[in-house]
Amino acid sequence: MIAFPISAAPRPVPARRPRPGAHPLGLVWTLVRTDFKVRYHGTVAGFLWALLKPFTMFVVLLGVFSFVFASDRHYKINLIVALFLWDFFAEATKVGLTSLHAKGYLLTKARFPSWILVVTSVSNAVITLGVFSVVIVAFLGLAGRPPSLAGLGFFILYLGQYLLMVVGFSLATSVLFLRYRDLNQVWEVVSQAGFFVAPIIYPLGILPERLHFYLYVWPPTPVIQFSRMVLVDGVLPSTRAHLFLAGVTAVTLAAGILIFRRHAPRAAEYL
Amino acid sequence: MAIVSLRGIGKSFRIPSVRRDTVREHVFGLLHPRRFEELRVLDGVDLDVRAGETLGIMGRNGSGKSTLLKIVSGIYQPDRGEVRVAAAVTPILELGVGWNPELNAIDNIYLIGSVMGLALSEIRSAIDEILSFADLERFANLELRHYSSGMAARLAYSVAFKAVREILVLDEIFAVGDAGFRARCHQRYRELSAAGHTVILVSHEPYTIASFCHRAVLLEGGRIAMDDRAERVAEAYLRLLGGAAPAVPAPA
Ligand SMILES: Nc1ncnc2c1ncn2[C@@H]1O[C@H](COP(=O)(O)OP(=O)(O)OP(=O)(O)O)[C@@H](O)[C@H]1O
Ligand SMILES: [Mg+2]
Repeated sequence: MIAFPISAAPRPVPARRPRPGAHPLGLVWTLVRTDFKVRYHGTVAGFLWALLKPFTMFVVLLGVFSFVFASDRHYKINLIVALFLWDFFAEATKVGLTSLHAKGYLLTKARFPSWILVVTSVSNAVITLGVFSVVIVAFLGLAGRPPSLAGLGFFILYLGQYLLMVVGFSLATSVLFLRYRDLNQVWEVVSQAGFFVAPIIYPLGILPERLHFYLYVWPPTPVIQFSRMVLVDGVLPSTRAHLFLAGVTAVTLAAGILIFRRHAPRAAEYL
Repeated sequence: MAIVSLRGIGKSFRIPSVRRDTVREHVFGLLHPRRFEELRVLDGVDLDVRAGETLGIMGRNGSGKSTLLKIVSGIYQPDRGEVRVAAAVTPILELGVGWNPELNAIDNIYLIGSVMGLALSEIRSAIDEILSFADLERFANLELRHYSSGMAARLAYSVAFKAVREILVLDEIFAVGDAGFRARCHQRYRELSAAGHTVILVSHEPYTIASFCHRAVLLEGGRIAMDDRAERVAEAYLRLLGGAAPAVPAPA
């Protein structure tokens, strides 16, 4: 290297300037707001249309299967609870998987914590699920069968764990998707099959007991079953059941974080 | 004192001889071991940039200039070597791809601004200034997908110039925009440099390098082949490309 003197005199250091990640809450809010705007064209009517999708499913499925399961008194309410929980899972995992790719243009703007992009991508699904949860609890109250306070608390706990699982899944798959560009198609197939693996349109009881364990490994199953128990049947799952759900959540989230941390630093190279 | 210090930076990209980008290809490709070609883009780059300095980087297409800027900005990780950057960096790279086409200019400014580290209140109070610098006030509520490429690039500069931190990293910055906007960019660039910001600037334009930079380096074969006063490097660059070297004006 050729050294040479710099002609310019030393100049003042500029005043304090913004640093990436200095205002993470502002970034989170902006991402959530713009996601909502893009998805629903920024209107309440657009949001109501999104709620209509699971309801339409509900009406159609009800028309067919309430005859099949006519003996089940709670079939309707069980069906709609499961449909909304499923819709959250399907929607949030689909969006989460492609989140880094879809927002990749931001990765070249600055160095900032990119996991924020993945975690906020599920916000639309969270909002829908939140609105539905309020509606269903209000409905149960009006129907004269309000869930107990403990039951409500556990329901919120399940939703929280459900969300953490989805976040773990999204963290892992969003970085892997950058390398395996048909991962979204693979997931679409798995997800479609998963709709029938989870006891949504049929009561779990119609399957032989020895199969139940395998169904419970599919994360939506325990969340759907436990939510039905506390909301509809008014009984609490066992401690063992709760530990199982907590374990699945912890493993999914930990795996997601590990995979993300391993691949995220090079994410920009694969865009 | 060096504000940016690079020691022995190496960066290779693995270019698969048979490219496999999908799960399907991986599953069916298991029978044939995967072969890679190693493309060494940077191979031992040592570089110090002093605080307040403006450094130009020149080199042929594909010589690794953009890769080097991304490493300085923390967007790419080097395979080898040590990167020390003592202050915050604002990169302005790859313009025109950095937008959500479904959102209007205002929402896009919020997105990019908050990624660059501005607070919402700062963005709110800067919106008018950003739009007027880009001369796009009339198009504030138009979705970016309807923007012309020059308009989108102007908006990108405008936001980035507003969010500038200590070190400004520019890739081919003066290549877009019409003459009027370019003049405004030059003006803003000189102001930033005069305010003490460190600037690293990539350009193929010998005139730009010679007139905006104190010093320049020539990137060739993955290394710094030359490190000298900007106008000398600009001349060497022209010679390298086999062109005659026209007189390059001294820096203003
Ligand atoms: N993410 C990537 N994956 C694979 N190869 C890459 C990647 N980024 C850059 N390269 C390769 O590295 C080499 C250098 O690219 P780079 O963009 O740094 O060149 P450059 O000097 O900026 O060229 P130009 O003058 O055209 O802008 C090129 O051969 C390019 O193909
Ligand atoms: Mg380049």
